[in-house]
Amino acid sequence: MKLPAVLREKGIWVVPLLIALVLWEIVAAYVVRNPALLPRFSEVIFAFYLLRHDIVPDILVSLLHFTIGLTIAFALALPLGIGMGWFRTVFKAVDPIIEILRPIPPLAWIPLAIVWFHLTHYAAGFIIFLGAFFPILIGSYTGFRDVPKVLVETGKVLGCIGHRKMIRHVAFPYALPSVATSTRVGMGVGWMSLVAAEMFGVSTSGLGYRLFNEFYYWKQMDFVMAYMLLLGLISLFLDRVFRHVVEERFFRWKKGIVK
Amino acid sequence: MNHTLRLRNVTKIFEAENGQREALDAINLVVKLAEFLCIVGPSGCGKTTLLRMIAGLDYPTSGEIILDGKQVTGPSPDRGMVFQEFSLFPWKTVLKNVEFGLEILEVPEKGRRRIAEEYIELVGLQGFEHSYPYELSGGMKQRVAIARALATNPSLLLMDEPFGSVDAQTRNVLQEELLEIWARTKKTILFVTHSVDEAVYLGDRILVMSPRPGRIIECMRVTLPRPRKRTSREANELRERLLMLLGSEDRKIHKG
Repeated sequence: MKLPAVLREKGIWVVPLLIALVLWEIVAAYVVRNPALLPRFSEVIFAFYLLRHDIVPDILVSLLHFTIGLTIAFALALPLGIGMGWFRTVFKAVDPIIEILRPIPPLAWIPLAIVWFHLTHYAAGFIIFLGAFFPILIGSYTGFRDVPKVLVETGKVLGCIGHRKMIRHVAFPYALPSVATSTRVGMGVGWMSLVAAEMFGVSTSGLGYRLFNEFYYWKQMDFVMAYMLLLGLISLFLDRVFRHVVEERFFRWKKGIVK
Repeated sequence: MNHTLRLRNVTKIFEAENGQREALDAINLVVKLAEFLCIVGPSGCGKTTLLRMIAGLDYPTSGEIILDGKQVTGPSPDRGMVFQEFSLFPWKTVLKNVEFGLEILEVPEKGRRRIAEEYIELVGLQGFEHSYPYELSGGMKQRVAIARALATNPSLLLMDEPFGSVDAQTRNVLQEELLEIWARTKKTILFVTHSVDEAVYLGDRILVMSPRPGRIIECMRVTLPRPRKRTSREANELRERLLMLLGSEDRKIHKG
């Protein structure tokens, strides 16, 4: 069988995807034969139709949690990252605290999130903040720490005297790609924390909440899987948008270095 | 005033783990306006340190460096510097790189563009204004670095083995271009190199340094008429003398 040229070049991913979906359908229908264990793909698609009134509000609530967490994470991690990356003493002073807090899984904070913020959007936002904060912080300070000496000295001889000018004109533009990449990573970790946070009752709505506390409670596995797909697709979409908007537009100069 | 740069008893001692290391010992030097001074010496003779101190990136342990009547206390755009490593800001186009010093000096956008374009033309890079550094060859990068160092109109151009990382052909071309730029801008140039050939082709005077601690062992006036021929008899003789000087210093070190 010969594939059309376009499909071979750019759309090569379509084929394995279709095979996987067909396999799913066959295995569910003829091997497992129990929708409580594995619903068929077609049932999951139909679930989207059945859930059509819930999907949009759930997405919006989850995106609200996500935005709260990510915004605060970015707003705190970037300045701290600049300080830690640029000033050796700030790094030495703060790094031990960071290293102690960092390995604590965001989900372990759920009890505190509940007692501090109760069942508000901020409780879920807090868990997402914890997930996104550390990757952004580390990417930022690495970027600022690794500014090549020759660029710093070039800045000095060209008149960048003082930390403010140097950070603004030399360190910041140099570190920006690192900040962006780590923000992307932070978005990924934040999204994973979001679902878990909503599942564990830091919220009374949202994709994760619905998935766990309603669909799973009713053993509606087709609904569960529909929301799983939705969670994956939204994250993929956010990542793509970010890459397109931020990385390809602002970092043309990196091309020659990275690729 | 006939001289621009004066070094008086400049000494540099670095604090190393195993005690102090004397890098430069009592350097005295007067550089005249519009002079092309080359500094040669083996690695470790402190020639780069000397240049960095004049740039204000390092500080003498004792002695003073006086430029146009004022003591040097730190870096300033009145001294342009071209480094051996490629030092263009990778996120800026050629034009923006050349504009950088003027941007810091808060020259209005129109004015700095005009000046930058002028210097880009001077180094022969018209048409590359909007290229990013990764798109340029090594020689082109150094041309941009020269244009950028000149754009703030410094009274002194400091060059630290600027052509050390380009191939031999490009190096010759860049040397010729530099002489043209020098003739057109009338800048005072201090040029550090370890290449005797380069020093003989470029310099009005050649400062020969010995290592550990760095001392000036000879200050040689080059009387060869310009434009110079690399292979002339006089040039060869001068090269030989320089190599002998450097060689005898080398032997001293290895023996004792």
